[in-house]
Amino acid sequence: MTRQVSRRGALAGGFAALSAGCLGQTRNIAGRDRSSQLTLEINAPPADRDPNAIRIARHLAENLEAVGIEPRVNTLGHTDLRRKVLINHNFDVYVGQFREAQPFDPDAMYGYTHSQFVAESGWQNPFGFTDINGTDELLATQRRTDGSERSEAVANLQRTLGQLQPFTVVAFPDPLTAVREDRFESWTNRQPLSVGGLLGVERAGTSGGGVSRGGAEGGSGTADSETDGDNETVDDNETDGDNETAGELIDDNPLTDGDGGADDAATLRLVTTGERITQNWNPIAAEYRRHGTFTSLLYDRLALAEGGEVIPWLAADWERVGDSGIEVSLRETDWHDGEPVTAEDVAFTYEFLRDTSMGNAESPVPTPTFRGRVSAVERATAVDDATVRLTLDNVNDAVALRALQVPILPRHVWEERTGMATIAGFEFDAETTEAVVTNNENPVGSGPIRFVEAAPGESVTFERNPDHFLVRASAADGSTGDTDGESTGDTTDPLAGIPERFRGKPAFARLEIEVVGSDVAAVQTVGDGHADATVSNLGPDSVPRIGREADARLVTGQSGGFYHVGYNTRRAPLSNPRFRAVLASLIDKQALVDTAFGGYADAAASPLAATPEWVPSDLRWEDRDADPVHPFVGESGSLDAETARDRLREAGYRFDEDGRLLAPGK
Amino acid sequence: MSPLLAVVSSLALWVGSALLVASVAIIRPRRLYALWDDLRDRLWEIRKPLAALVVVLIASAIGRSSLQTVSELFGLQLTWAIHALEGDFVAWVQGTFASPQLTMYFSSVYVYGYVFLLAFPFLAYLALPRTTAVKRLVVAYALNYAIGLTLYTVVFAYGPRNVMPDMVTSLLFTHNPEFMTLTGEVNEPTNVFPSLHTSLSVTVGTFAVLTRREYPLWTPIAVWLATSVMIATMYLGIHWLTDVIAGTALALGAVYLSCRLVDEEV
Repeated sequence: MTRQVSRRGALAGGFAALSAGCLGQTRNIAGRDRSSQLTLEINAPPADRDPNAIRIARHLAENLEAVGIEPRVNTLGHTDLRRKVLINHNFDVYVGQFREAQPFDPDAMYGYTHSQFVAESGWQNPFGFTDINGTDELLATQRRTDGSERSEAVANLQRTLGQLQPFTVVAFPDPLTAVREDRFESWTNRQPLSVGGLLGVERAGTSGGGVSRGGAEGGSGTADSETDGDNETVDDNETDGDNETAGELIDDNPLTDGDGGADDAATLRLVTTGERITQNWNPIAAEYRRHGTFTSLLYDRLALAEGGEVIPWLAADWERVGDSGIEVSLRETDWHDGEPVTAEDVAFTYEFLRDTSMGNAESPVPTPTFRGRVSAVERATAVDDATVRLTLDNVNDAVALRALQVPILPRHVWEERTGMATIAGFEFDAETTEAVVTNNENPVGSGPIRFVEAAPGESVTFERNPDHFLVRASAADGSTGDTDGESTGDTTDPLAGIPERFRGKPAFARLEIEVVGSDVAAVQTVGDGHADATVSNLGPDSVPRIGREADARLVTGQSGGFYHVGYNTRRAPLSNPRFRAVLASLIDKQALVDTAFGGYADAAASPLAATPEWVPSDLRWEDRDADPVHPFVGESGSLDAETARDRLREAGYRFDEDGRLLAPGK
Repeated sequence: MSPLLAVVSSLALWVGSALLVASVAIIRPRRLYALWDDLRDRLWEIRKPLAALVVVLIASAIGRSSLQTVSELFGLQLTWAIHALEGDFVAWVQGTFASPQLTMYFSSVYVYGYVFLLAFPFLAYLALPRTTAVKRLVVAYALNYAIGLTLYTVVFAYGPRNVMPDMVTSLLFTHNPEFMTLTGEVNEPTNVFPSLHTSLSVTVGTFAVLTRREYPLWTPIAVWLATSVMIATMYLGIHWLTDVIAGTALALGAVYLSCRLVDEEV
């Protein structure tokens, strides 16, 4: 108010001032931009799509308002939200979940926070965060070093990120799933809906059969199924004899016969609130992928990270060659269109992810996802049909293993998509290729499931890939088992390195995913027996329902997908780490865990909290009531607004007489 | 039975019975017999407005998903503005009045009552000797849909239950998740401004007042139901007060326009 009056006064006396020769001062005052209240837009998905994120956004909005910042909660579907945040970088603040479904290696932070990615769109550094001497250095160090040296770098990296807060970690949610077990069982408590979780599922009552089919040696397989013999088989097997049961189950396998009724029984039905998998099957599309579980089932990776171990997947084996090389030998398998998967495809994939235009564009158009992973690979060359050599950028083993975890794409399909993206023949954006924007209809992968059909926005159907190495090698193994005898050494076993529980899988013949309106509806669908499990996140309204549904059960695991508040550090005042630190202290993480997650989450200060071995004791949350870096200003959910304002004043920010925070020069 | 089919058949059963009872009680058997004898001619007479309504409905069914995409990409994102305008009114409504009995009442009004409210006047006005009223009703329905669909595309906004789940419970879908399969078939969660539930109900209510001489018994029932539907949209956390006000304005506009477009028969 005072500013306005003084300015108006200056303008009113303008002529006098001019004649008095004070033109300079008038110009100095009138030429200044006036301050107005700071407004921050908080982007989050609506409650129907993500029941947790919107609650975090609301909590932050409430506390922003209390300290004199005008919040605008903007609800957007996941796809629109990611387009806005990851692609267009046109946001102030967003609430979201990290990409990794499972606890991950610290190198995941490389793509997320390294300044070399600020100009790229996609999952890499959406914050526009640049900390050249601190974060960048530490990220580079943890890639090169091993042992305690790496631990030290990782610890310092977390301290630096904690201090600078390009994003505020809120909590690691428990990946909750409502499942029913009358048709499918063995839902793991590690990651029920990860690639491994879905592949590990057994048909109810036939688990013994599944194991014995997949068993490397026929003999041990039947021995295994002995214990399962006690279980009453729901299927029409009346014989209890071990060998016969196993034999029957193979013959009776509904996956191989075309009987409609049996097909129905072998269909795994999932429900989700996310319609993305019914619209887009592009494994590198940043807007459409959350954890990429289903695209990982469509597209094999060289290695699969599952429950803390790395399983050789499309790669049968690998070894480090010299300082910077890794030689990967591939398993024999085909693309869904019948073409063989070759080393050429693998070499192409790494080259392609680095530049999806394959040299056609003015400057490279890198992939919007997996960017951190492929940045560790300098070159990929096919040695022969089944061997690829990756030249690595002087990285340690852990980073090399992450580099093996990208979807391998068929060259003959994606080579056609290296041109610039067009709408009806017109180029709209010279920085994007067809490959990045395609919906990838009728995806051709090599994974254990194949695409069948989809009704966009409603449902999608996949089927088991009978030619996948998990199935083909197990079947071949069973028939040739006699000639090989018991001595199936590691070198001859086509499924070497693959855990028992994945052999011969998946156990379902079809996989149907249906889109429903909300988490509550998803749980209800499972409770009513119309689906076997929920895929999308469950909120505090839906979790209690699971207990009330007689046949539904709550399964949980450990997640790497931490909820966080991300800041666009390109925009003032979010560019100021002191300002971000105050915002971080406006978030009561523990209260949010109790209210927004109904207790099914762990509050955290570090993005690596899911892997406690990497977290230094000064950043651990456990046996603490408050955040170790930016403790909440206030007590149990209620903000101490005056203290928060004082912090902002200390950081150099000003308020008007109504307590509104002034945005300088707006 | 699939959940959708279950909801639809229960809807058909209940609304069908209600229509039967109301027809006998309000339209009276004499007029019903007359309607039965003359049905073909009367439908032929109103063929033009009817065709217009069918065109709008088909266009809505086909174009809805592409219009939704347009709205996502280019629509005005106004959720925050609506929230800023009216504050926590809907949360206040729920916090003050919510009770299991009211939730049950408003849930059934929102689904069953609404369908009955839209279906019955069509029958009732078709049974009148003059077709002016039924023509106007059908034209007003078409206008509501056409204008509503345009506004849905221009304005991209989510309802209160999606924006403030900490204060506004999605009462309808939390207590009756099966209804979601139905509403999911006919609507998108971002289609909140204006409330078409409100606008169509108010349209019927307004016509009920205008035709009070013909059907004096229907007027209070329609006004009661229309008001209930209006409140239900907010009580259930589906719409903002702003949507309801805009829906009312749309309804009055549509009724006015339909009277201008369809002249009184002489």
